[in-house]
Amino acid sequence: MNGENVSCQKKEFYSSAFILVAGNLSDGTKKIFSKFSIEGKIGVFGLIMIIMMAVFAPLITSYPPDKITGNSLDSPSSDHYLGTDELGMDIWSQICYGARMSLAIGLAVACIAGFGGGALGVIAGYKGGVFDQVLMRVIDVTMALPSLPLLIVISAFLGPSIINIILILVLFSWAKPARISRSQTLSIKNNDYVISARMFGAKPFYILRKHIFPEVLPILFVLILSISSYAIIAETGLAFLGLGDPTSKSWGMMLNYATGFRSIYFTPYWQWWLLPPLFMLIFLLLSLAFISRDMERVLDPKLRIKKGD
Amino acid sequence: MKKDRNSFIFRFLLTLLVILAINFFLPRMMPGDPFSTTSADVAGDEIIVMTEEQREYYIGYYGMDKPQYEQFFIYLKNLAAGDLGKSISYKMPVWSVIKIHLPWTILIVLCATALSTFIGVIFGTISAKNRKKSSDRFMMAGMIAFAEIPSFLLGLILLLIFCVYLRMFPLAGAVTPFAVYGGVLDQAWDIMYHAFLPVVTLSFAQLTGVYLLTRNTLITVTSKDYIRTARGKGLGEKIVWNRHALRNALLPVVTRTGFMIGMMMGGAVLVESVFSYPGIGMTLRAAVVGRDYPLIQGILLVLAVSILVCNLTVDKVYQMLDPRVSV
Repeated sequence: MNGENVSCQKKEFYSSAFILVAGNLSDGTKKIFSKFSIEGKIGVFGLIMIIMMAVFAPLITSYPPDKITGNSLDSPSSDHYLGTDELGMDIWSQICYGARMSLAIGLAVACIAGFGGGALGVIAGYKGGVFDQVLMRVIDVTMALPSLPLLIVISAFLGPSIINIILILVLFSWAKPARISRSQTLSIKNNDYVISARMFGAKPFYILRKHIFPEVLPILFVLILSISSYAIIAETGLAFLGLGDPTSKSWGMMLNYATGFRSIYFTPYWQWWLLPPLFMLIFLLLSLAFISRDMERVLDPKLRIKKGD
Repeated sequence: MKKDRNSFIFRFLLTLLVILAINFFLPRMMPGDPFSTTSADVAGDEIIVMTEEQREYYIGYYGMDKPQYEQFFIYLKNLAAGDLGKSISYKMPVWSVIKIHLPWTILIVLCATALSTFIGVIFGTISAKNRKKSSDRFMMAGMIAFAEIPSFLLGLILLLIFCVYLRMFPLAGAVTPFAVYGGVLDQAWDIMYHAFLPVVTLSFAQLTGVYLLTRNTLITVTSKDYIRTARGKGLGEKIVWNRHALRNALLPVVTRTGFMIGMMMGGAVLVESVFSYPGIGMTLRAAVVGRDYPLIQGILLVLAVSILVCNLTVDKVYQMLDPRVSV
């Protein structure tokens, strides 16, 4: 319970820190949350539930996910809540530990791509010149690349490891935050208050920190949510094709093992082997989507004003 | 404007070059080599163990002993001549392998495009007509939630419901094996029967986009003056919607259809895997597993070029349909 409190406090701390940074949204997390629609609230609770599952996986499962703890392909019982897979590993613990994998990949890709791409975009927008030109060309090309076929081939070449998968996904998702934060920077840069700050001798770093980052951050935050759901989908797809990391069981890998099992569709095994990861994935993606849609809506007036500039 | 169009072509060529380069160098950096796979992993077949001499011969035969940049230029030269190389696992030209499997992918992609456009426009129109009523809100929330489920997970659900639980549709393949057909109709029926679920899955993934686009454009269009004029002339509600509103609202839908074909070509890879549909995506998966470099290159190239060409065409078609854009 204590750990829960700490993580809650941490969460609150981060979100309030975020809001302080965001400046314009100083009226607090509760206010934002109250603006959420019913779907958005369900999404928040869903996401918190999955995070809890991932964090407290050792407490709520009675078996390790990667040890043989029962008979092969047992149906659900009080011993193994969701039955076992073909090797006799507990499926409920695989689900709980798999949540860690999916969340970690989503979060890592989204943070690296979102903040990295965002920083590149801000710098390019602020400095302009050759760097800006080159970056825009690279962004254009990156966005035009057909991502899924290339993802498949690149991850096959780099070999199945979590780090590689995260790096590839970052490679394919940094362009959008970069482009958006660049255009935001461009529109903020020429505002009177920024110009007058510069007149008073403000250094570029000061202007970036005081005027530009606080404006760009909320938008990046929305993008980070959508990138993380993209990353989770992509990782699942790759794992489903057999290109995931075989040593770490994500939900996508569970799908891969289950669908790869011969005659799974002619036996009742799919009911407890295939359905749980499928259901959890859809639940997670829907939660993320609901949250990001509401975040976008809450932040929208701001966005519209800036687009109108 | 002229400068803009040039930069578009330039961008297209640049992207193509990047794809060609990735396409060429990546497979060559992959771990493993095609001959070790042929020599050990052919399950059920007789196992051919190559001597060092044979290995050398094959490496020379496929031109793998030359320096990489030289191989790249040879690759580009052959490509310009329409030669994609020889598949190592199929032992025939890559283009012939692609020619066997591509029609299946094109079939489901085109059917899915048609289906999602058709249903999306109908739903969008219904929704726009009932704007601000609860049915519109309900429909929109449902459609948006639906769009968040990636197509292959949706495919898995459909597969479980219709193929496994209800046993209404086949689990795999594009035709019934060893079937003897009474006629062309019989054969067409069999093909549609097998393609049905992949097509439905693919179109669901794009449905929401078309739906939202139709709905939003229709709502914008119906607030225009000429709609009021049409109503004021005493035209029936049906004619106003079909002739005046829908015709104008369909313009962006047309261009979206083009983008959709491109996106679906990529997305088909996973959906085909779910349904074991023998299209180009299944072949790509097999080629990656078998380290069949020329085949991977060929498939990537076909997919990438078709996506790029779709996008380019859409841009041109849009300029033709809507002269306002180029002014």
